[in-house]
Formats: sequence, structure tokens, C-alpha cells
Amino acid sequence: MGRPSLLALFEVKRFLADRGALAFSIALPIVLFALMVGVFGGDTSFNSTAHVADLDGGDAARKLVERVEDVDGLDVRQYTEAELNDALDRSAVLTGFVIPAGFTGALESGTPAVVRVKRRGNGGDAGQITAAIVQGVADSLASEYELRRALGALVSENVSPEQVELHTGLLLGDARRNPPVRVVSQTLNEQAEEEDILDRLLPGVIVMFLLFSVTLNAQTLIEERRNGTLERLLTTQLNTSQLFAGKFLAGVSRGMLQTIVLLVLAFVVLRIAGPSALAQSAVLALVVSAAASAIALVIATVARTEDQATWGAVFITMFMTVFGGTFFPIGDSGVLELLSRFTLNRYAIDAYEGILGETATLGDATFEMALLGGVAVVCLIVARMLFRVSSEAK
Amino acid sequence: MAYMEDFLAATGLTKSFDSVQVVNSVSFTVRSQEIFGLLGPNGAGKTTTIRMLSTVLDPDDGDVTIGGHLVAKESDAVRKLIGVCPQELALYPELSAIDNLVFFGRMAGLSSSEAKESAADVLERVGLTDRAKDAVRKYSGGMKRRVNIAIALMSRPQLLFLDEPTVGIDPQSRNHIFDTVLALRDEGMTVLYTTHYMEEADRLCDRIGIMDEGQIIALGTPAELKAQVGDADTTTLEEVFLSLTGRSLRD
Repeated sequence: MGRPSLLALFEVKRFLADRGALAFSIALPIVLFALMVGVFGGDTSFNSTAHVADLDGGDAARKLVERVEDVDGLDVRQYTEAELNDALDRSAVLTGFVIPAGFTGALESGTPAVVRVKRRGNGGDAGQITAAIVQGVADSLASEYELRRALGALVSENVSPEQVELHTGLLLGDARRNPPVRVVSQTLNEQAEEEDILDRLLPGVIVMFLLFSVTLNAQTLIEERRNGTLERLLTTQLNTSQLFAGKFLAGVSRGMLQTIVLLVLAFVVLRIAGPSALAQSAVLALVVSAAASAIALVIATVARTEDQATWGAVFITMFMTVFGGTFFPIGDSGVLELLSRFTLNRYAIDAYEGILGETATLGDATFEMALLGGVAVVCLIVARMLFRVSSEAK
Repeated sequence: MAYMEDFLAATGLTKSFDSVQVVNSVSFTVRSQEIFGLLGPNGAGKTTTIRMLSTVLDPDDGDVTIGGHLVAKESDAVRKLIGVCPQELALYPELSAIDNLVFFGRMAGLSSSEAKESAADVLERVGLTDRAKDAVRKYSGGMKRRVNIAIALMSRPQLLFLDEPTVGIDPQSRNHIFDTVLALRDEGMTVLYTTHYMEEADRLCDRIGIMDEGQIIALGTPAELKAQVGDADTTTLEEVFLSLTGRSLRD
């Protein structure tokens, strides 16, 4: 094993011995991702329960309850009046619906019928939406009863009430299946709608923390320059190029280790992808880690103090994270899209997203891989030209 | 003690940083199996001289030969002969002493088994065998200094550079370091030692070079240097030092 590889292995050992670095590089991304799943995850469509006390028990009340239950995303839970009042008093329920006795009779006779809505405060957002839905269902039901009653009054003695009921039911059923007025929704950003936000968050969080931990490591390189360990290494059999190569390999190894741990965890916990996607992601992680490690070396060679290195790393990472599409879609044009072209994150996230989503392979990410590899090469050349072992000019 | 030939020869060493001349045409020799002391006030150029001698820094002018190898052209060969203990605690505090030693041993060209064997030897020599697996950050200042020296001994060097190895430690640790350095010399090692402490140099060094403002201003055995100023039996090395370098404060 060559000396640069030995040096890189030693650096990984130091990384594993540093609990703070481990917490920042591995535990923190897991916590952040879990929080994001909590905030953005789950079903984003409307779901609620209509809490109903049916004091009428008649045919119209039963139909009202059935039709509310048929509405997508809405369940019905039935109570006695006392139970509903108790739940409202305890704030276990914020909005309740009471179908009073005589509801069916009123609809059949054409007199005004009432459904009472009981609220705690404003009833909550879900309660208000549910109340509007119940209002719509009740209006529709009232129209049907009005129609039946009007038709019943018009029929001749040759037409039985059963026939009136049968034909009215058929007509109304047909109207429900093919309503005369339909409200059609059109989603304008179809592509974004199809993407689960978590599909982008996972690679975004992985790349963000990889950049943070690897570039912040530039500060430790300056610390080593200050405390003399770099210079001491040059009194051994290690030469400057081997030392530089070792530090670069150390950054790559650290980034790879961190990314693979996070990917495997995501695979085990979230079942995000199959083994093939994971293997391809590991190859991609190698290129991303190389680019991040090379950037860290540039920071370490340019910065004069540990503070300069830290703030340089924070600025670069934050810029790339914010404008690289970690937390929101970039879009196809505009200033954000333009700025995103100057970030590693955009290309890394795009490639990870395709591979982990199993909609693309490494072959499809050739452009992104080439670009990230190019960044690594250019930064390595710049860093090697500027690399100093001593805090004094040599 | 019968001295052998010169193991280190520096001729006309010169170094400037940002047009400030830090070392100015320094020439001296260090004989095999002697402890050579390099004394001088702060900013005299001692550490820069050691960095040039130990292949870290290229001189602007002058030559250094160590063990028959020209440092400027045969740095790899020279590095096989030397061990360097810098003034700073140049080690990794989050790792154990044994991990530090084995790592630097591997970097010095030892195999894994050789590095482990050598680490055990040097830990015993500096009295840290019992604490070998503890993280260095948990050590006292004196223990850290001893690990700093132990790292320099890992490759069993023929020439050992010790740059202010006893700064900021208690008398017991300092005494332990003295005994270690003397034992190393007796085993055949050549030592180049810098210090601020005159009694330390008087006790340890076979010969002493006094540096000031980048130049060697006096060179000889402690007795010879004392005789330059007064009675060799009653004059202290500190009096010699102050006499030669003056009493004005240095940065």
C-alpha cells in the first residue's frame, strides 16, 4: 500500500475517532432528513372526518351520511348527540354536524330543513372544509327531494308513485355520473407535481452534508500546518506530492464513507432503491467526493487562518446548497437556474435523483459525472500549485 | 569520549523570508555521537536552521551534508538518517500514543510489524507504555512532550533534531528527557539540541553553538565558551550567553 493510501486510511481513522465529526457528518443528516420527512412527507391531499349525530334516523338523513362518506378523503364517524357534545367540550372534535329530528320529513314536505354545525372556535381548517362539503351534499340532496316532490305533484293517476320514484332515481343517478356542469382541474407544473419532494431532498441532504463535512475539513489542514504535523511528515519518507495526494484521498474516502452510510440507511429504512441503484450511487459518490475534496484543498491552500477556512467552507457550501436546488425545484430558466449552474449540488442531485428513483442509470448521468470530475481535476491542479506545507513561505 | 568524523556539516547556510534575512551564512559541524547544542535568543534563527538541516526548507544559499549525503540533492537518503522533534507538539491528540507512533513509523518507511515493534520500544524508553492506548489529548504537558520525542525516535535515526523539547514541562519530565537524550547519545546517536535553558545546555551538550541575529557568534565546548568570558570554573553559561548576545529584550 502506498504512502498516500496509508495517509488516507489514517485520516479516516482520525475521522472515526472524532465523535463531533461523526455526529455532524452522519447523525445530523439523518436527523435533518427525518425532520424533513415529517414536514414534507406523507399524503398531501385533503383528509378529514365528519363527526355526525343523526337525531332524525330517516331516509334523507341516512342518504346524507352515505353521500358525505362517499366524498374522497372524507370519513364519517357517528355519535349520539351527547357524545358529540362531549367530544366538542373536550376539543376532541372541533366541528360536529347534527341532523335534527324531522330532517327527512321537512325535505319530503318541502319545508326548510336544517343541518346544524357545531364548532369549537372557528372549527379548524379541516372542519371548515368539511362543513363546506356537507353543505354541498345537503344542497344536492335537497334538490333531489324538491324534484321528486314537484314531479309527484304533476303525475297523473295513471302513473304510480313507485314509477315516479324509479324514473327520478334513474335520472338523478345519470346526472351524478354525467353532471351537466363539471369542474375540471388542470395542474400547470405537471412535472413537479409528479415528483415526490422527498425524492430530491434525500440526495440534497446527502450532498449538502458531504460538502459541509469535507470542505470544513480544510480547517483541520490549516491546523495541521500550524501545529507542525504536515511539516513533520515531510521529514519522513513522504514527499510533498504524496502528502497532497494523501490528503486528497482522505477527503474522498471520508466523503465516500459518509455517503455510503447514509445511502445504506436510506435503503434499509425507506426502501428507496434496489441494490443496482445503490451500487451506481456509490460510483457517483466517488466522483462527488472527489470534487468536494478538491474544493476543500483549494480552500485550505488559499486560507491563511482556520477561521478563514471555516467561513470559506460555510459560504461555498451554503451557496451551492441554496442555489443548487436542495430545498426547492430550480426550474428551466431564470436567475436561479443560472446560479445553479455554478454549483456542484445541481449536477450531483440531478444524477442521484435519477439513479435512486430508478428512472436513470449512470450512463444517463455521463454529463453530470464528467462535469463533477472536471471540477475535481481543475481544483486539484489549482490546489497543488498553491499547496503549502508550512505556515511560513517556503 | 573519542569523537568520530563530522556527521553533519553546514556551510554558508542563508535564508530570507520576505527580504528579511533570518539565517546569515551559518557554518558549523556536528560530530558523530555528540550532543550539539544550538543556543540563541528568540528570533536568532535556530528553528529556521533546523528546518533547513532537516530537509523541510530549501536554503537560499549554502550546503548541508548529513551522513555523507548532500541535503539539497539526496533528501530521501538524508530523511532515512534523521529524526525530527519539532518545537510544536506535532502529533494527533485525538488518537492514542501508539496510533501516532505507528503512523509516523509507517510514513518513515517501516513495515506494519516494524512500526509496532519500534513503537513498543520507544514507548518504554519514554516511560509511557502503561498509557500507550490512551488518547494523547488526555496526557499531561510532559507526557505529550515525551510522545513528541518518541515519534522522532521511531525510525531509529542516526541524527536526532530536538528543537526546544523541554518547553513548558515539570522538572520530573524534563529530567526524564535529559536521561533519555544522554542514553541515546551513549548508544551512538548524534543529537542536535536547541534550548533556551542554559543549565540544560551545560548539563547535556558536548559542544555548543550560540546564534544571534542569524549568525553563529560563538562555538565550542561549554568550558571553552566560559573561558572566553571569565573563569571556566565559576562562570555560568548564562553569563556567557548574556555577554555574547547582550541584555536587550528580543521579540
